[in-house]
Amino acid sequence: MNICGYYPESINEGEGLRAAIFISGCRHRCKGCFSPATWNFKYGEPFTEQRQDEIISDIKNNPLLSGVSLLGGDPFFSADEVSAFIDRMRAEAGPVPIWIYTGYTFEELLARPDSPEYHLLGRCQVLVDGKFIENLRDPALLYRGSSNQRIIRIQESLAAQKVIDWEPMYSF
Amino acid sequence: MALLNRIYTDQEQMLDEVIHLGEEIVASSNLENLRENANLNGESFSGKMSKFGSEYAKWYANHFVMPMHLVQAIQDNIVYVHDLDQYAIGTTNCIFIPFDKLLAGGFNTGNGSVRPPNSIMTAMALVAIIFQSQQNAQYGGVSANKLDHDLAPYVNKSFAKYFRKGLGYFEEGDETADLGDITMGRSDLQEQYPRTYKYALRETESETLQGAESLIHNLNTMSSRAGGQIPFTSINYGTCTSPEGQLVIQSLLKATMRGLGSGETPIFPIQIFKCKQGVNQEQGDPNYHLFLMAAECSAKRLYPNFANLDAPLNLQYYDPTDPDTEFATMGCRTRVLSDRFGRNHLSGKGNLSFNTINLVKLGLEHGIALGRRTKADERGFYRELKHYMDIAADGLLHRFKIQSRQKAKASDFMMREGVWEGGEELAPDDQVGELLKHGSLSIGFIGLAECMKAMYGKHHGEDEEVYRKAYELISYMRQYCDEQSERHKLNITLFATPAEGLSGKFTKRDRTVYGKVPEVVDREYYTNSFHIPVYYSLSASKKIELEAPFHDLCNAGAISYIELDGNARNNPAAFINIVKYALSKQVSYFSINHPIDRCTSCGYEGIIGATCPSCGKHENEVHIRRLRRVTGYLTGDYQTRFNAAKQAEVRDRVKHGV
Repeated sequence: MNICGYYPESINEGEGLRAAIFISGCRHRCKGCFSPATWNFKYGEPFTEQRQDEIISDIKNNPLLSGVSLLGGDPFFSADEVSAFIDRMRAEAGPVPIWIYTGYTFEELLARPDSPEYHLLGRCQVLVDGKFIENLRDPALLYRGSSNQRIIRIQESLAAQKVIDWEPMYSF
Repeated sequence: MALLNRIYTDQEQMLDEVIHLGEEIVASSNLENLRENANLNGESFSGKMSKFGSEYAKWYANHFVMPMHLVQAIQDNIVYVHDLDQYAIGTTNCIFIPFDKLLAGGFNTGNGSVRPPNSIMTAMALVAIIFQSQQNAQYGGVSANKLDHDLAPYVNKSFAKYFRKGLGYFEEGDETADLGDITMGRSDLQEQYPRTYKYALRETESETLQGAESLIHNLNTMSSRAGGQIPFTSINYGTCTSPEGQLVIQSLLKATMRGLGSGETPIFPIQIFKCKQGVNQEQGDPNYHLFLMAAECSAKRLYPNFANLDAPLNLQYYDPTDPDTEFATMGCRTRVLSDRFGRNHLSGKGNLSFNTINLVKLGLEHGIALGRRTKADERGFYRELKHYMDIAADGLLHRFKIQSRQKAKASDFMMREGVWEGGEELAPDDQVGELLKHGSLSIGFIGLAECMKAMYGKHHGEDEEVYRKAYELISYMRQYCDEQSERHKLNITLFATPAEGLSGKFTKRDRTVYGKVPEVVDREYYTNSFHIPVYYSLSASKKIELEAPFHDLCNAGAISYIELDGNARNNPAAFINIVKYALSKQVSYFSINHPIDRCTSCGYEGIIGATCPSCGKHENEVHIRRLRRVTGYLTGDYQTRFNAAKQAEVRDRVKHGV
C-alpha cells in the first residue's frame, strides 16, 4: 500500500487538529476529483513499517491532536492494510479517534457485513461518505466537497442500523 | 551649539545629511524608510509632513542629545533606541487609561469640557474621544484594560432610563416610583413588570450594539494621529460577570464579527479577551459562552487575542475584587502590571521607553558561525552583552531624566485629566518625574534564534542543550533588569520586543558587515524575540511548549503565535483547543494567525488562492486584499503596507494544519 500525502496537523479534514494520511488508490473516478493522480495505487510512497512508525510517533507525541483522518484515494480500496495500520497505531498510541473518507455510501458498506470494508468501518468513529458530485460542489461545506456527502457517527449508526449524523463539538 | 557627540565632526557632512533627509522624503525615494511603520502611509502628504519632523528629530537626538556611548552602540548595530524621534522632547510611550474615572467625573479635552455620559451610546462615543485625546499626549499605544467593567454602569443607566419610560408606556407602574437600583439582573422587576422589563432589555441591547459598532468604526476612521495614522488602540475585556458587563462584551464581539461598512475586518482596536479560570474557561463558568464567542470572533477576524490571567507572573497581582489588578495588555504585547512603588494595577501608568539589543550580532562575534572558532566563546559573549546592556540601561535612564523634567502641560490631557494617575494634582508648570517613576523602562531583545544558531550551530527549537543555553541567556537578561531596578529604584523590565521597523534594520546592516551567513544572516529579517523561527517546521503544541517558559521571564511583555493554514472559521474545535492548550502551558499572551483574504469584487472572505472560490475571478483581474498581522497589529494589506523584511517574514511562516 502506498500513501500519497501526510500532514502531521491539519484543520481541513475533520474536527479539531488532526493528522491526515492520504492512502493511494481509488476506483470511484468521480468527475471533477481534485486529485485524480491519487487514483493510481502506485502513486506516492510505499507505506513502509518505518514510515508508519514515524507517523505513529508523531501522533503519539502530539497532545493537541483530536485524532487521525484517513483519506485518499479511498482507504476502503485497501481495507485490510488500513485496518492493520489502525491496530498497530492504537497499540502504540492508545485509542486514537479516526475520521475516514470514502466514495462509498454508509448503506453500501453496511450491506456487506464481514467484508474487509465493513471491518475497517467498525474501527473508525466518523465517516464522510459518498462520491464527489461536481454539480453539488459547495466550498462553504464543512470538511467535504459536495452536498450529497454526509458526516456520520459510525458506532451509533451501526448500533441503530441507520445513519446518525455527526454534530460538531462547537459551532461558530 | 557645540557638537555634543564627537563621533560626527565634519560640519559639511552634517549639512549634507540634513539636506538628504528632506530630499528622500519629498521624492518618496526611500520606501523602506516610508514603510517603517505599517500603519503610517509615508507616501501621503500628512505622512511626509510627519516624516520631516521625525527624521530631523532623530538626527538632532543623534548629534546633540544622546550620550556618546549610546550613539556608538547604535552605530555598532547592537542597541536600537525605539521612537528616537521622541527622545529629545521627552515624550512617553504608552498607557492604560482609567476609563471608569474619566467617564464618571467627566473631562476636558482642552477645547471644551464633557459631562459624564448618561447612556451606553454616549459612553461608547466618549471612549473614542478619550482615546483620541490621550493619543496625542504620547507616542505609543493607548489601551483600555477593563472596558467591560468600565462601561457596565452606563449600560445600567440606559436600562434604567428605558425601564422608567416603559413603566409609563405599558402602564405597568409609576414612572417616578422608588424602585431602588434598576438593574438588568433584578428578577423581581422582570416578574412584576414583565412588558416593561422586556422592552427595556431589548432597547438596551440594541443601543449597546449600536454603541459598540460606532466605537469600532470611530477607532478605524479617525486619522487623528500625526501622519494620518489612526490611534494605536487596544481594548481588553472578558471578566465582568454582571449582565451589563456581559452585554458590553457580547456587543463588542458581535460588532467586530459584523465588520466595517462593507463587512471588512476592522484593523483597530486590537482586542484582547482576558481568560480566567472560574470566570470564562470551562462549561459552567459565568462567562464561558463569551469565551467561545471570542474564539469565534478571533477565527473570523483575527481578534481578539487571548490574555492569560492565570499565568503565574500575572496571577500574583490578581485581586478578584479589583478588575484593575487583572492582567491586560497593549495589543503589541507591552505589559506593565507591577510597580515597586505600590501601584500594582494597570490603569494610570504605562511604559516610558525601551531599547532593544541585537542578540544576533553578539552571537556572530562570539560564536562558531563565522568560522573563527570551533567552540562558542561564552565568556566573551556575556562580557559584551553586559557591556551593551549597561549602555542600553544607561540610555533609558538618560531618557527618563529628560522625560522627568517635562512640564505637566507638555502632555496636557494625560496629566491634566489624571489619565496618568496623580497628574490631575500637578500644576501646568510642575515637572512630571515623581509620577513617571511608576511607569516602566524596558530592555528588549531580538533574534534569540539566530543568536543561538551563530553561537552553537543550532537554534533553541532544534536542540535541547541549545534550548537550555537560550533559556539561561534570557534568564540572565531578566536578572540584569531586576538588579538595575534595585540599583536605580525604578521599574526596569525585560521585553520581548515587538520588532516591526526593526526586524529588517539590524539584519540589513549586519549583512553589509558579515555578508550572507547561512541560517543566521540569510533572510531579510531576524526572528522576533524568543520565538522559534517562523520558517522552522514543528508542531503547534511543541512551539507552544518551547516558547511558554520565556513568557514568565519577559515581565515587560511577550506574545506567542501559532500560524494556522486553512479556514479557521470552519474548525472551531481546533481553534479552541489550541488556545486552551497555550493557556494551560502558561503562555501569558497568545494569538492564532490565519490568513484572511478578501475578494474586492464579490466581498468573499476566507482563503483565496489565485482565484476567488466564490466568484471565480482571478487575482490578475481583481485585487485580493490579504490581511496579515505584524507585531500584534493588523495592517490593511501586507503587500502594500509591510516593509520588505516583514513581507519576507510573512512569506516564510510555516503553517500548522495545512
